Amino acid sequence: MSKQSAIKVQNLVKNFGKDESLIKVIENASFEIQKGELVALIAPSGAGKTTLLMMIGCVQEPTSGEIWLGEEKVYDNGWSAKDTRKIRREKIGFIFQAHYLIPFLNIIENVTLLPQTNGVSEKAAKQKAMELLEYLEIADKAYSMSSQLSGGQNQRVAIARALANNPEIILADEPTAALDAQRSISVIKMLKKIAREQNVAIITVTHDDRILPYFDKIMKIENRGIVFHELGEDKIL
Amino acid sequence: MINLAKRDIEHTLGKFIVTAMGVGMLLGIVLIMIGVYRGMMVDAEILLDDISADLWIVQEDTLGPFAESSRVHEDLKDIIYVTEGIDKSEAMTFQNIQLPHRDKPVRVVAVGYDIYGSINPINPKRLIAGRELKNDHYEIVVTDKTGFNLDEKIKLGRNLYTVVGITHSTVSNGGDPLVYISLKDAQDLQFSYSNKEIQNNEARGIKNSEAFMVNVIVARLKSGYDVDEVAQEIKKWQHKSVYTAVQQKTILTKNLIEKSAKQIGLFTAILVIVSTIIIALIIYTMTLEKMKEISIMKLMGLPNSLIISMIVKETLLLGVFAFIFGNIFSHLVYDKFPKRIVLEIPDAWGLFGVVIIASILASFVGVKKVISADPASAIGG
Repeated sequence: MSKQSAIKVQNLVKNFGKDESLIKVIENASFEIQKGELVALIAPSGAGKTTLLMMIGCVQEPTSGEIWLGEEKVYDNGWSAKDTRKIRREKIGFIFQAHYLIPFLNIIENVTLLPQTNGVSEKAAKQKAMELLEYLEIADKAYSMSSQLSGGQNQRVAIARALANNPEIILADEPTAALDAQRSISVIKMLKKIAREQNVAIITVTHDDRILPYFDKIMKIENRGIVFHELGEDKIL
Repeated sequence: MINLAKRDIEHTLGKFIVTAMGVGMLLGIVLIMIGVYRGMMVDAEILLDDISADLWIVQEDTLGPFAESSRVHEDLKDIIYVTEGIDKSEAMTFQNIQLPHRDKPVRVVAVGYDIYGSINPINPKRLIAGRELKNDHYEIVVTDKTGFNLDEKIKLGRNLYTVVGITHSTVSNGGDPLVYISLKDAQDLQFSYSNKEIQNNEARGIKNSEAFMVNVIVARLKSGYDVDEVAQEIKKWQHKSVYTAVQQKTILTKNLIEKSAKQIGLFTAILVIVSTIIIALIIYTMTLEKMKEISIMKLMGLPNSLIISMIVKETLLLGVFAFIFGNIFSHLVYDKFPKRIVLEIPDAWGLFGVVIIASILASFVGVKKVISADPASAIGG
């Protein structure tokens, strides 16, 4: 395993049902994503994007296979830890279609909630949160409520929240779905910058063809397996 | 660590307070119901305490004079008086009457007593205006709740009575205000018949000797005598039922109030259950409103304990605030009720304990919802 590997998946299988009603969603998928990479996950609806994202995110248990997050093997035909939530809060950041910030917490509390749950002191968590908010140019809103911010500002806060626990990977579920082309490109550029500068792998589920050129890699689910396409190839779309 | 419950409540403070006030009013009614029961207990004992008799001698085989009707001869007091161990004995009457008032009649219990006797049912501490009875006839002392003023004339039977004194907080065991009249007037009211009635009775061979009847002979003991022994002695020779002060209190509180107490207890229990269900529904709704956030928190990896703690704390805080509002509400309205409401601190603390248990039970519905929340639902597609 490479030192720079953020996620490595081997022979991942996911089936639903059994016997006659068996549905094979992912079959022997193997791939590796390096830290600092921004990867798009594309596939037609129902092909298994969300299922793959939830398996990598330790939300849904695979049928079989192996998953490494950083240097830790988190799944080997069974979760390595009983508490998969601990894996999530220590190694994974999530970004959603909408910002889904907790409405009753202010911005800095939204960002510091997870680190504090991980045992980071309030002071250290706040310091890190302020750094992230400054990095995302939203520090002046640290003590505002999410209802006082625009959609774009809230999405940047959601990114800060995803980065707050120093994750190995960030899983983004269509983060540009609600944005116009210009803003979508802006968000993807920002994610690319974050991937590079924060040395984190970001896997983004997207249906938006317009933003695909800005990704480092395109990961496509084809015939229940994973196929990587380098940018510039015609067949990726 | 961030206090999620506090933040959530602060975020929807107005809604939380209004909800707590609503539940609080229910809890206030629970406190008032308990207060009604306490009031009945107090009312039941007021007259007994004011008369302060050691023995109550009533018609044989009756639970008189309050729980059942009782008639004994007035001169029995003299026989009782000479019984060994008796210090004082007096005859008394108790009867429900309706006094005509300015706007509507007032239902009262009239206590008839010998104004020259040795046992006076009017507690001087309760006399807030005027004086006690001084004349044998046509004077009346009323309770302030009747609404009569000093020197006011009240038509009672065929005669006009003058209000000579006003007492405060004197009521019968049924909660009706007390009025005090002389024994002779009371006997006239209760036992005297019209001339036509007397003629009619005599034609039937019935003698009209009831004008010398009373409802009870009350007695106080000399010091050093055992109340049960003296009671036994009277019972044995006079063929009367004799109750000690404790027994009379039991008759009043247990026999007379028990059913009402059960009824009030049942109402109270139902109200507590309704309050619990309402709190549970509110918490369920509050949890449902946060399901997306809860799924997100679970997806991010926040432990169940953190989210459950938020729900339980919110429920407990709702219970505590509702309890505070309930207390305020009950103290604001209790004196508006026609009957006595006694709000006691131990009852409030008891209800507080029930509210806390009810809140914990109610939080289970929210906790169940939290546990069942699927973190995968936070990811679309």
